[in-house]
Amino acid sequence: MSEHGAEHKQPRDAAHWAQPSGALRVRDAPEGALNLNVEGRRVVGPLQGFGRMWQKTYRVRLEGSDATPEEVVRVWKAEFPKLWPKGALFHTPRAGIAPGEVALIGSDRPGSRWIATGIMVLYADDVSFTYICPEGHPFSGWITFSSHRDDDGVTVAQAQVLIRANDPLYELMMPLALHKAEDDQWRHVLESLAARFSVAGCVETERVCVDRHRLWRNYKNIRHNAILRSLLHAVAAPFRRRSNRAKGRES
Amino acid sequence: MKEERKAPETLHSSLHILRLEYEELGHTDQRRIDMPQAQVTMDVRKVDDSASVIDIRGELTGFAEGVLMEAYEQASKGGVRAIILNFEGLEYMNSSGIGLLVTLLIRVNREKQRLLTYGLTEHYRHIFELTRLDDAISIYGSEKKALEAAGQVER
Repeated sequence: MSEHGAEHKQPRDAAHWAQPSGALRVRDAPEGALNLNVEGRRVVGPLQGFGRMWQKTYRVRLEGSDATPEEVVRVWKAEFPKLWPKGALFHTPRAGIAPGEVALIGSDRPGSRWIATGIMVLYADDVSFTYICPEGHPFSGWITFSSHRDDDGVTVAQAQVLIRANDPLYELMMPLALHKAEDDQWRHVLESLAARFSVAGCVETERVCVDRHRLWRNYKNIRHNAILRSLLHAVAAPFRRRSNRAKGRES
Repeated sequence: MKEERKAPETLHSSLHILRLEYEELGHTDQRRIDMPQAQVTMDVRKVDDSASVIDIRGELTGFAEGVLMEAYEQASKGGVRAIILNFEGLEYMNSSGIGLLVTLLIRVNREKQRLLTYGLTEHYRHIFELTRLDDAISIYGSEKKALEAAGQVER
């Protein structure tokens, strides 16, 4: 039918998307944040991972609240780290939740940082925003946070992930811990968000296995595994300190 | 348009509000599928026994799931091996829309078909690159080139 190339006009969504940049760069890493598994990594979508592909949807209805979807998302973006479970650290980028910004993620649980990773803001508009994972993150894919009005006029907040486990080790961990950890995390976030609007929300969860096949060609993703690298980093800490002290004496 | 967004439907959602209009154009089997909230139409053209083109016009968001999956089912009828998405009429796409393309790709792969695209503007090519969809979905500059790649050049 058509043999014409696509027209080059800027669509309405242009400002909402991050720009392709190849490797991730962290500007102004916050003090205490460990930029071990983000700098120089590429982002990975659901097609670059290893394990089965899951779509999980977490949803809470803000019954009794007159907050608009735009208000909910504005608060969600602004207070994102406060809504996380205790012990998990999300370092909001200085420019906030904006397309292309990179955020570091760590933990202050006993035993120090058992995982250091991050996300990039893939997309953000007034009623939704999406994070995409870097190589080495437990998941390959993205998560979209959004708000909308239900048919009955009640405002709903929703988190929806489309992910695979990034490598064989994470895939083994999915049924043992990762599914539950993720479910707990986003339920907690949605309950906290509902509480922020004075609602005792009941979080509905829906889990669909989109693709049962594992992508064995991606088994080498394990070389970037953020948990293994974070553990090695922690184990090597005393040796690094000793080496740094020795260098200091020499100089 | 943004004031009253409704929840994106899940993968196997009911299509009860789907409206189908059949159109006959020349020798092609064309079907138009509209969904009022979706702000998108998808015309299905069966080029020959082994390739179909889906012309996407409007907004590709989570609301378009029912329309896209229905269009895919229509496009797949009769043992079609190549599904070609025409994005020349794409006006808006958010991250849920990209998610729909991923789930469509999985379905296409499961049926041992090929998914090809053409008509993407530079902006949407960048989004395919950013989300690394271009690793799995072939992008072409025109329908002719997409058909050639699918091995379906009209004689």
